Amino acid sequence: MAATSMHALDALGNPVRRTILSTLRTSPLAVGELATRFPVSRPAISRHLRVLEEAGLVEHRAQGARSVYAVRVQGLASVRDFLDEFWDTALSQLEELARE
Amino acid sequence: MIEKSAYLACPPARAFALFTERASEWWPEAVRHTSDPRSEIRMLADGRFWERASDGHEVELGRVIVWEPARLLVLDFYPGTDAQHPTEVVVRFAGENGGTRVVVRHGPKPESADLWVAGAPGFERAWKLVIPALEGIAEADHR
Repeated sequence: MAATSMHALDALGNPVRRTILSTLRTSPLAVGELATRFPVSRPAISRHLRVLEEAGLVEHRAQGARSVYAVRVQGLASVRDFLDEFWDTALSQLEELARE
Repeated sequence: MIEKSAYLACPPARAFALFTERASEWWPEAVRHTSDPRSEIRMLADGRFWERASDGHEVELGRVIVWEPARLLVLDFYPGTDAQHPTEVVVRFAGENGGTRVVVRHGPKPESADLWVAGAPGFERAWKLVIPALEGIAEADHR
């Protein structure tokens, strides 16, 4: 889990990849469809998708001759992991607050 | 089930007040629903549990189910899921060596049991929370 999430964070360090991810969140899209929405070349989109896929954040499936990309929900934290991290931060800030 | 504890250098009554009245100060900035890092977050004895942005926009974060100052707080909790699939937070406050041991137990309710481990498929709100949080961390890493 730790290794994967580090990778996921690296993948999200790029603004184009973050926008791709948030676009795919709304609906799965083929590379060509994605390319029309971004001011970058189709090979560049493919490269970004490869990074996102290696990080476990998106997955693709063949649909005829096209590759359709979709967000891979398990690539991000489960509710439990999300809340676990929430309380780590929250409780350390609460301890700080009590020291004031 | 998540179980976490913290030791607060103050008596239980003050620990309870810090937890409920000054949540805005300990609540992680990356997990604000209103996208306002200075939003106000309150838990109240009458059952309300909300976040309010500086522009007045208000979001219900859950409900206070049990309110026993200096002892116990039980919340229905929506962040991470939504109001239809609340999780449950039980916070106990106990005196320890002149300070307070705060123990948080956070787990699923029957409505959220499936979501607890499986991630958040189709949960727009969870995505809205998780992605900005990750982005914040990623940006800090790349600075």
